[in-house]
Amino acid sequence: MMLVANKISRFHRSFQILNEVEISIKAGETLVIIGPNGAGKSTLLGMLSNENISDKDEIYFKDRKFSTWCAKELAHNKAKFSQENNSDIGLLVKDVVLMGRYPYFNASPHQEDLDVIEEMMKKTDIYKLRNRHYNSLSGGEKQRVHLSRVLAQLQNDETSKLALFDEPLNNLDVRHQYNIMETIREFTQKGNAAIVVLHDLNLAAEFADKVLLLKKGKVAAFGTPEHIFTEKVIAAAYNFPCAVFKNPITQCPMIVFGNQTKNCNRCVIDTES
Amino acid sequence: MQNKLLLYISVCFVLLIGVASISLKLGAYSFEDSSLWQIFKNELSGNGLVSEMDHYVLFNVRLPRIVMAILMGSAFAVSGTCLQGMFKNPLATPNLIGVTSGASLFAAIGIVLGGHFRSYLPDVLNYSLISIMAFIGAILTMTFVYRMSTTRRKTNVVVMLLAGVAISALAGAVTGFLTYLTDDEQLRDLTFWTLGSLGGATWLKNGILVIVIFFSYILLLNKGKALNAMMLGEEDATHLGIPVEKVKKRIIILTALMVGTCVAFAGAIGFVGLIVPYILRLIFKSNYHIILPLSAVVGSILLLIADTISRTIVAPSEMPIGILTAFLGAPIFIAILIRFKKNL
Repeated sequence: MMLVANKISRFHRSFQILNEVEISIKAGETLVIIGPNGAGKSTLLGMLSNENISDKDEIYFKDRKFSTWCAKELAHNKAKFSQENNSDIGLLVKDVVLMGRYPYFNASPHQEDLDVIEEMMKKTDIYKLRNRHYNSLSGGEKQRVHLSRVLAQLQNDETSKLALFDEPLNNLDVRHQYNIMETIREFTQKGNAAIVVLHDLNLAAEFADKVLLLKKGKVAAFGTPEHIFTEKVIAAAYNFPCAVFKNPITQCPMIVFGNQTKNCNRCVIDTES
Repeated sequence: MQNKLLLYISVCFVLLIGVASISLKLGAYSFEDSSLWQIFKNELSGNGLVSEMDHYVLFNVRLPRIVMAILMGSAFAVSGTCLQGMFKNPLATPNLIGVTSGASLFAAIGIVLGGHFRSYLPDVLNYSLISIMAFIGAILTMTFVYRMSTTRRKTNVVVMLLAGVAISALAGAVTGFLTYLTDDEQLRDLTFWTLGSLGGATWLKNGILVIVIFFSYILLLNKGKALNAMMLGEEDATHLGIPVEKVKKRIIILTALMVGTCVAFAGAIGFVGLIVPYILRLIFKSNYHIILPLSAVVGSILLLIADTISRTIVAPSEMPIGILTAFLGAPIFIAILIRFKKNL
């Protein structure tokens, strides 16, 4: 097991955000966390990535608690993409991506670091933006810059690395969404692991090896996509009716939401004409 | 990148030496020997050709003052750059967030209360005492402002600036009150603080400054990468392996030490910490890896020019240096406000 969390809970004042969540992930797996708003997804991901945790929280990364890792070693083995990215960074795009290599050099980057960031910028399709000011980019482009940075951070010879992504697909168009998910899959297939918080259930169904469904701070379901993406489980979790089909292109579960009780006007007109 | 940085720093150093040699020549007193080079040469050979007046002005008045301007300009600029990185805001400078006021308040208390046993202390201890008081004042204000304006690792700029205003007001009131409790000599010292001047430069003070600055720079100047990463947010910087809390503590303590010492020796010279990073940002963006070490040299150049003007423009009298730095600094302050008014 690469990462194990044992009954972790989190309170904000008296409100319980997470309630005895158990989670484990093996090398080579992509774990996708889904759930309605306010389910505690980001909080869970934060704790799993070593943000504000105390020694009481039983989280083991490669059988060791985070507190026993040295900072640099940990940065070589684990990276996180955060949802709230600071919008004001007065640097060039390539300098932001280069931050992903900070754990690897002291004063000035080695040629290897420059090669890595070039490769990652090409992978996330921002290479042509490399000399632009970060602040002048659009939301989706900024998103890709940070993805590029996080990917660059884990390019090394270590085995079984962990990458955590908090809603990495926000603001991205469909091509870039697939591109990022495929990059993450490529990463996990090399014996690494990824934990991704996603809102798009269909992409989750397509790319996840394991799915964790979180609701009100509790694990509502945990298992393979086929196991989780059923009408009963999803409709109950999101409190909204849905149907599950087989995606004709990918053969993965395909979730369609819709409320039968309210007839869609346009559909009615269509059948009449 | 590293090579370019070295190039920029060398260019600035050459510029600084140029400015310093011009500044050495300018002043109310003109040297009997027209060439400074000649004076130095005669001095070194010890042939007694240097007149006593020349010797005194050059080595006990002008040179210490120039050295002090270089040291303090550098210290103020580096403090400003570090604080801006830590607060993630270009308005966070020692005097805008009230650190200089806090330092001068404690220095003033040190002068007035310490006046009772001052005469029994040797000079080194005496100056050190005031610097230590100023350091305590600086670190207390800095911690207070930081705690007050930062919740959950995000800084509220409005609170930060207003806390600075409040502390400056309080410090002004207490310093004003102290002027009524003091004797003449202390009063002169206090006035000197509120105006800010490099006129009191001595080799002893420079020696203390060199020690403080040298020690601080060893621990601070290599933090450019950390400050860059902190622009991502402190959580993300931690994920990059940056020991954020340690860096912040180091910045708070060392900038307080530098600002405190400078304020103790020359009073509250404002705006250097605002102007220098602002100019450097115009050229190098916010890349702290470059602007942090560069600000150390550019700050020296700026304060040295300002001080040279302040002592020559109305010669033989002298204009407080704060007037000049404010002339430059206030428009830049306004420019930053206009640019960031949406984010405040």
